[in-house]
Amino acid sequence: MSDDSKQIGNLPNDKGFSDEDIVKSHVELSKTKHEPTANFLLAPLVFVFVFGCLIFVCSIQLSHSTNSFQLHPPVEIVELSAEEKESLRLDRKISSGEKIFAARCASCHQTNGLGIEGQFPPLAGSEWVSADSAVIANVILKGLKGEIMVKGKKYGTSAAVNMAAVPITDREIANVSTYVRQAWGNDSTEVFEDEVSRLRDESSDRQDQWIGSELRKMFSDSFSQ
Amino acid sequence: MPADSPDKVIDRSAKLVFSFFLSSAGLWLLTAALLAYVAAAKLTDPFFLASYEFLTYGKIKVAQANAFVYGWGGNSIFAVSLWILARLSQAEVRGSVFLVVAGVIWNLAITFGLLGIMDGHMSGHEMLEMPTEVWPAMLISYLIITFLALVIHRSRQVRETIAPQWFILAALLWFPALFLIAWNGLEINPARGTLQTVLSMWYGQSLVWLWLTPVALGAAYYLIPAILGRTIDKYYLAIFGFWCIAALAPWSVVHHLEGGPVPMWIPAVGTVMSIAMVFPIAVASTNFHATAFLDIGKVWDSLPLRFVIFGTLSYTVSSYIGVVFSLPAVAKITQFTIINEFHFNQRVYGFFSMIIFGAVYFALPRITGREIPKAAKSFHFWTSTLGVLMLLLAYLIGGLTHGVLAGQPSLPWSSSVIQSIQPYFLITKFAFIILAFSQFVFVVNVWRVIFPNPFVYFSANNKEASV
Amino acid sequence: MNNLAKFTIGIFFTLGMAWLAFVVGARSQFGDLVPTSEVLDDDGLVPEDAELFPVAISGMAKQGAEEYAALGCVTCHTQQVRRVEAGFDVERGWGKRPSAPRDYVLQEHVLLGNSRIGPDLANVGLRNYSDEWLHQHLFEPQSIFPSSLCPPSPFLYQQIDEPVITDIKIVSNEVTKETRYVRPTVRANRLVAYLQALKQDYELPEVSFVETEDVSVEEEDVVSTDVSTVSVSAPKWLQDQIDTGKEIYMKASPGGGMCFACHQQNGEGLAGQFPPLAGSDWVLGSKERLIKISMYGLMGEIEVNGVKYNNVMAPPGIPPGSLTDDQIANVLTYIRNDWGNSASAVSAEEVATVRASLKGRAPMQMFTSAELTTPIQ
Repeated sequence: MSDDSKQIGNLPNDKGFSDEDIVKSHVELSKTKHEPTANFLLAPLVFVFVFGCLIFVCSIQLSHSTNSFQLHPPVEIVELSAEEKESLRLDRKISSGEKIFAARCASCHQTNGLGIEGQFPPLAGSEWVSADSAVIANVILKGLKGEIMVKGKKYGTSAAVNMAAVPITDREIANVSTYVRQAWGNDSTEVFEDEVSRLRDESSDRQDQWIGSELRKMFSDSFSQ
Repeated sequence: MPADSPDKVIDRSAKLVFSFFLSSAGLWLLTAALLAYVAAAKLTDPFFLASYEFLTYGKIKVAQANAFVYGWGGNSIFAVSLWILARLSQAEVRGSVFLVVAGVIWNLAITFGLLGIMDGHMSGHEMLEMPTEVWPAMLISYLIITFLALVIHRSRQVRETIAPQWFILAALLWFPALFLIAWNGLEINPARGTLQTVLSMWYGQSLVWLWLTPVALGAAYYLIPAILGRTIDKYYLAIFGFWCIAALAPWSVVHHLEGGPVPMWIPAVGTVMSIAMVFPIAVASTNFHATAFLDIGKVWDSLPLRFVIFGTLSYTVSSYIGVVFSLPAVAKITQFTIINEFHFNQRVYGFFSMIIFGAVYFALPRITGREIPKAAKSFHFWTSTLGVLMLLLAYLIGGLTHGVLAGQPSLPWSSSVIQSIQPYFLITKFAFIILAFSQFVFVVNVWRVIFPNPFVYFSANNKEASV
Repeated sequence: MNNLAKFTIGIFFTLGMAWLAFVVGARSQFGDLVPTSEVLDDDGLVPEDAELFPVAISGMAKQGAEEYAALGCVTCHTQQVRRVEAGFDVERGWGKRPSAPRDYVLQEHVLLGNSRIGPDLANVGLRNYSDEWLHQHLFEPQSIFPSSLCPPSPFLYQQIDEPVITDIKIVSNEVTKETRYVRPTVRANRLVAYLQALKQDYELPEVSFVETEDVSVEEEDVVSTDVSTVSVSAPKWLQDQIDTGKEIYMKASPGGGMCFACHQQNGEGLAGQFPPLAGSDWVLGSKERLIKISMYGLMGEIEVNGVKYNNVMAPPGIPPGSLTDDQIANVLTYIRNDWGNSASAVSAEEVATVRASLKGRAPMQMFTSAELTTPIQ
């Protein structure tokens, strides 16, 4: 190649090419075909070889790291049995309930569900919690006032639960009730959203908070003690 | 150096345009140098000018990049590519008035854009931070200039084209396409979510690869044979190199998104294409260096060529380093570190600017008929070299330190990671001072040649124009 | 190559291929993501009534995003947690999980960033920084982290000579220990609202929290400096009073005040139910009124920081109304000097004086709001 360029390149003008020469000589260069040589031309061979290697490396890299052009990174897919699905659903419901409880209930009833003696009744082991699921749902829906007995102690002389001030959805009520009924050693049944909806409809006319004795009478069967 | 008569005619036709673009490029270069110093100083002392809201580090850094790329880069691209196209086409530059008017609009748009950034109207999209209000003006003025460049090319004497023409034409045409795509995707018909980032990253990085880089490569493909008086060695590879860049570069730029909140294929494709970029880089460096090393003494003697070869060497080295840093295993350490600064400065200072300096030193005496003192050019070369090397080494070593320390979660951020890279920021501050000084010398060189006597210049030029 | 039209088509074709992939293709793949629930139901659908994520940020925070963009914070801060195999972000505690494309769909300007001279901010709202801390950091980062390179933003604050309680106290960590008070402008408040809103604290169907052994790195860093700022500013007797007060505030057994049950550990109260103590005009105002409430409780509608509350506060203490003069002095000093509050201490003598003045009042007779609406100091 360098022979080529010498023929065309080393013009008498020692000061460099004129522009015309540059264009013409390079156009000439791109038109010339290589004359047949006895040996292989090394450079193109090396280039082809390296190019081949690169394409190989690139395609390996591509197939490894593009994640099959999916939008999301790979997630392990676990096939769950019906029971596992059910327990997963319940876990989620309870953990959602736990969050709601922490945000909206724990300030009085405490995170440990023990309440404050003399002021806020406990939820852990409370017969009000383990009674019919409608009791707790109703209390959350409308609030509760008046003196009540919880675990043998008297409460309700001061502030009363009134959740109506801040809207809460049926699903949230179902979740938080389920959490309360199954946390801290409580072991009562799940509360379902449609049940809460029904109770909301039924009590929609009610303006006041529930009164403790009234609720206790309505669901007297389910109060175990 | 006396040129042929037709060359002289061409040079005379290009004089107004070249002088205009070059002198405004010089002003932008100084602006960017000043902003770079302020930004660097702010990184060594956060209280430096801290009470001025329009000078926050975030704004200054962005303003500097914009002033450099659009101001200095844009204007010097117009100057150099118009002249090289005219010379290679053996055609006169026509529509000088339109070119100057478009240039004025371009410069005003950037001025207002930078003021907008400092006034707090920054968009946050990479290399598109200037407020949207100035985008139309930029696009329109750019299209006028490109159109007139194509007119020059269309009136060429020889139908066949050669490498410098491909690179320069492609760069001139790619920019508006990129700009329109980004404009559409970010403002007119805005994308949601991280798609915005993909788009602005693609635009910002492509700007370097498809606008600055091809112009500098084109200039090198022209200057090396023109000064050495020999054809490009293994010229048959050039066409392969050109199409490789055209096909691969727009894909490779998104590897910076590695690990981010985008589908994995985007950075993966970017990485793979970056690896493939080894090819065009090898082609260009073979072409340039094989030719230059046939006559290395002459390269050393000719200052313009010295600048150009520094630029091409820098291109080769930086591009290979870029390939290595795009590999996921390495990117894990270097991503988001000041290695980014290394890449940017390597491209715009070490490669693009150096080649443009060479082109200017080659063209200016021919156009104006006045020679720049060799000592001044030489001083510019050595200070640039020193400044660029200092800057790049500091960013490179600092960036690696940054990445390695950040990767150790037990080290607290500011009191350990950032504190250990502060010495490097100090070095970059001095490097920017040296560079600013060196660029000041360059601009003085250029202005003294363009305006040996400012009062005579305009009247003399008017006479020439009326001939 | 010689025909300009063909050449142009060629170079636009190569560019167009990349455009097709990264712009058109990517847009059709994830340009229309919508918020979704943390988990999908069995059919892969969003359950009805499920909370949707990401959540749109408030108007104030949205304005803050514009300030963030305008000031160029994105130059040094990223907002993305990289995938675990691609970086150390989760290990460093910068997020509970890698960021996903969906996290950003509601943001007007997505500011992922590309440089980390500062730490990642994708989850800055989860790092338990108080607003005051963030204000202090914005005003002068070096007063918290001496080696920080983050530029101070004094132009977002008004320097104040006669501070009121909502002003931010800045103690420079320099040798001079110079103390200044600054008042945040509305822009600073927007910015802080934005920073507090930056959090990816939910899971998405496509990405779950990552289990890590130790994510306390960043917190250690912060807590230690925070404490040092306080200890610099408070003399020992005051610190003692604050510490004892805090115990009472948090104690839920006889001898305690159990104040946190309603007013919360962070002093923020509960929106609509229990008024905040942090930054409260009641807490920072008249001491006498505070003492009265601490002895007898309060009922009826009151207005705290412009927000109305109507609830009952039983006489504090366990059992109710049992707090001694010392205890009241300590707990009041505490609430006046935590969560960014900074007001004068309350002494047991002051409490005793007030108690003497209320000699005739029946025990447990709560104050009504009307009784206490004396002019605020």
